[in-house]
Amino acid sequence: MLSWEYPPRIIGGLARHVEGLSSALASSGNEVHVITLDFPGAPYEEREGSLYVHRVPVSVPAPTFHSWVLLFNHFFEKRAGQLAHEFGAPDMLHIHDWLTVPAGVASKHLLRAPLVMTFHSTEASRSSNSPSTESAMVEGLEWWGSFEAARVIAVSGWMRAEVLSSFKLPEDKVEQIPNAVEPLKFEGPIDAKAARARWNVTEGQKMITAVGRLTSQKGFDDLIRAYPAIRRAVPESRLVIIGDGHMRAELETIAEQEHVRENTIFAGFISDGELVSALRSSDVVVVPSRFEPFGIIALEGMAARVPLVVSRVGGLAEIVEDSVDGIEVEPNNPSAIAAATIKILSDRELASRLVARGEEKAKSYSWGNVAKKTLGVYQDAAKVTKFE
Amino acid sequence: MSEGSKRLLSTLLVLGAQSPEKALPVEEFAMKLGIGVSELQPDLDRLAESGYVVTTRRGDSTRVYLTGTGVITASSAYS
Repeated sequence: MLSWEYPPRIIGGLARHVEGLSSALASSGNEVHVITLDFPGAPYEEREGSLYVHRVPVSVPAPTFHSWVLLFNHFFEKRAGQLAHEFGAPDMLHIHDWLTVPAGVASKHLLRAPLVMTFHSTEASRSSNSPSTESAMVEGLEWWGSFEAARVIAVSGWMRAEVLSSFKLPEDKVEQIPNAVEPLKFEGPIDAKAARARWNVTEGQKMITAVGRLTSQKGFDDLIRAYPAIRRAVPESRLVIIGDGHMRAELETIAEQEHVRENTIFAGFISDGELVSALRSSDVVVVPSRFEPFGIIALEGMAARVPLVVSRVGGLAEIVEDSVDGIEVEPNNPSAIAAATIKILSDRELASRLVARGEEKAKSYSWGNVAKKTLGVYQDAAKVTKFE
Repeated sequence: MSEGSKRLLSTLLVLGAQSPEKALPVEEFAMKLGIGVSELQPDLDRLAESGYVVTTRRGDSTRVYLTGTGVITASSAYS
């Protein structure tokens, strides 16, 4: 498995997917090697049972991000070659998004192993408003990976349709396999009072939580613009935004302009354990994304037994059934976000109903199921792969 | 975050400065960016205050490297 992110290097849902899938594959008796990038404080080599994690340092400087990606792919290839020498050639190679396509394709031909590629997102959907030469390179790599892969996986129906139309792939080459959630992470006792106190949420106050990278895609600016209306209806509340990113200063400014800075907490990145505590201590989780190929935070919210407000976009709209296990709102609409959030915070019966159905739904998204379906894709990929 | 700060984080990432051992001398970093140390220093101070970078003294020189949060923030623009 080749991935540029793996915990504790968590940029987005991709890291969670690779962690959950590789761990479930290893638990079902497979030997799994994850090749990923090094990260401050994380060991270069890690092993748990038959799951091996190899964190590769990039020892040569690069001039730009995109040339750095090509460079780290060479280091991934080198590690893949070393592992093949040490453990034998792999039965399967699995790459995730464009970032590991060069190493995946090269390893496929050098090690003569079938290749599977998972799309968590596409460049076209990420950068539709800002085409650039870098985007052209990324789209080229995406096409190349989807062409070289014997089978392609998309994390949602929306993503599958996007991949089919963008790369003109045959229908039977692309399988939809979702992300999942580990329910055990959300079990056991927590000190909700302490978790809320950490974000200055006092007794009697409602905790409104949002989680993700602070980028335009996530729509946190819309949530902050919705917050004054929410506060007028629910004055005793705090908005806790968990995550970090380039938009942080801009979001802080918007919170000031909207006169809600004092009640908006920018929590930054927090550990997995802290995230679980924060989610379980929340009164509502809002996912105001403008674009979301999957939206794993919605599943995590359901598993944490918290009612959800989500944008009706991409994979999110496939996970959440409106008014059954969450409330859907149109994207880019602060008024709609405010109305749905107020509805949940002021109607306990509705909130309980959404939570109960959400918890049931979260249970159906297990990493065990994802691993089983992925193994099926591996078998198909092995059958159709031929080397001359 | 300003475009300048984004550029600093991204440059530290691609230069591999993400641990005390791989920390980059500030003078060298400024030279690679094509700016003077006095122009760079206020941005570095702001990034250090926000927890994205750490500056340390080694011998006569001040060096800089990305924290885990800095690595993730630098990478998040591309994911």
